[in-house]
Amino acid sequence: MNGPMEPTEPAETVAPRPDTHHIDRRLLEFLVCPVTRGALVYDAERQELISKGAHLAYPIHNGIPVMLVDEARKLED
Amino acid sequence: MSDAPDRTTHFGFETVPESEKAGRVHGVFTSVASRYDLMNDAMSLGVHRVWKDALLDWLAPRRGMKLLDVAGGTGDIAFRFLERVKGEGQVTVLDMTESMLVEGRARVEGREIEGKLDWIVGDAMALPLPSASYDAYTISFGIRNVTRIEDAIAEAYRVLRPGGRFLVLEFSRVPNAMLRRIYDSYSFNVIPRMGQAIAGDRDSYQYLVESIRRFPDQETFASMIRAAGFEQVSYRNLSMGIAALHSGWKI
Repeated sequence: MNGPMEPTEPAETVAPRPDTHHIDRRLLEFLVCPVTRGALVYDAERQELISKGAHLAYPIHNGIPVMLVDEARKLED
Repeated sequence: MSDAPDRTTHFGFETVPESEKAGRVHGVFTSVASRYDLMNDAMSLGVHRVWKDALLDWLAPRRGMKLLDVAGGTGDIAFRFLERVKGEGQVTVLDMTESMLVEGRARVEGREIEGKLDWIVGDAMALPLPSASYDAYTISFGIRNVTRIEDAIAEAYRVLRPGGRFLVLEFSRVPNAMLRRIYDSYSFNVIPRMGQAIAGDRDSYQYLVESIRRFPDQETFASMIRAAGFEQVSYRNLSMGIAALHSGWKI
């Protein structure tokens, strides 16, 4: 936040930066599924964290894991 | 997530289905993210900084401490914590709103403390974190927005190590009736207008004011923390009770 009060513009213009962030390996191993509290499997290609128990794939957006059920992709078994 | 679809909760003074609250709160914060700190300054006349420092004072961070800061989007508490431990600590910042985390992370990019911070989008009621893994859990002006506060407290208890500390900074109830009337009139008349003027968003700030009034008072909230299993639960009023700090220990 630099400088107060520029004229209003829509707040959601978080400038899409190039994808320069990589998720930390240590963090990947630490996180658990919020539903099952079980371990997650990292899919580097799709940038997802997979919970086999919950059949969900949690997305990683530019290095930030999004650990919300509503945002997860449902997996066929 | 919700097992009982007809249960309702509060969205400010409106009663909404539980399943809708998270989305509506999310909408509020997505719409204010980039001006969030500015609005906090305006709403509290800058005092929220003093309150956050009071939280850190009471936490008394030690070097090597591992902190989970929930609803800590833009990193306000996390940065203060790392300053106090001279960078010798680790913080997980967890927030429902991705744009807040992006904002927070951008503030430390390229700085030395960058590696001491993890940024995670997550839900306070279902933390994606292993049990007994943190020395401290803080939440500042966030628990009021959680759909089921009890669930969030239970999750805090779960992820804390034995000996871990739970600290909540939240707006509270001014005990003095006359002061309360003055404060109410300020918040209901002034704050939504400020929201309009600064953020171009009256409704979000109307919601903030209403949700503050809905939140349990100091004693009620303390008993909720005790009910989750925390011990030595106590609180301190800040600015005559406009805000309060609650503390509990997992023994």
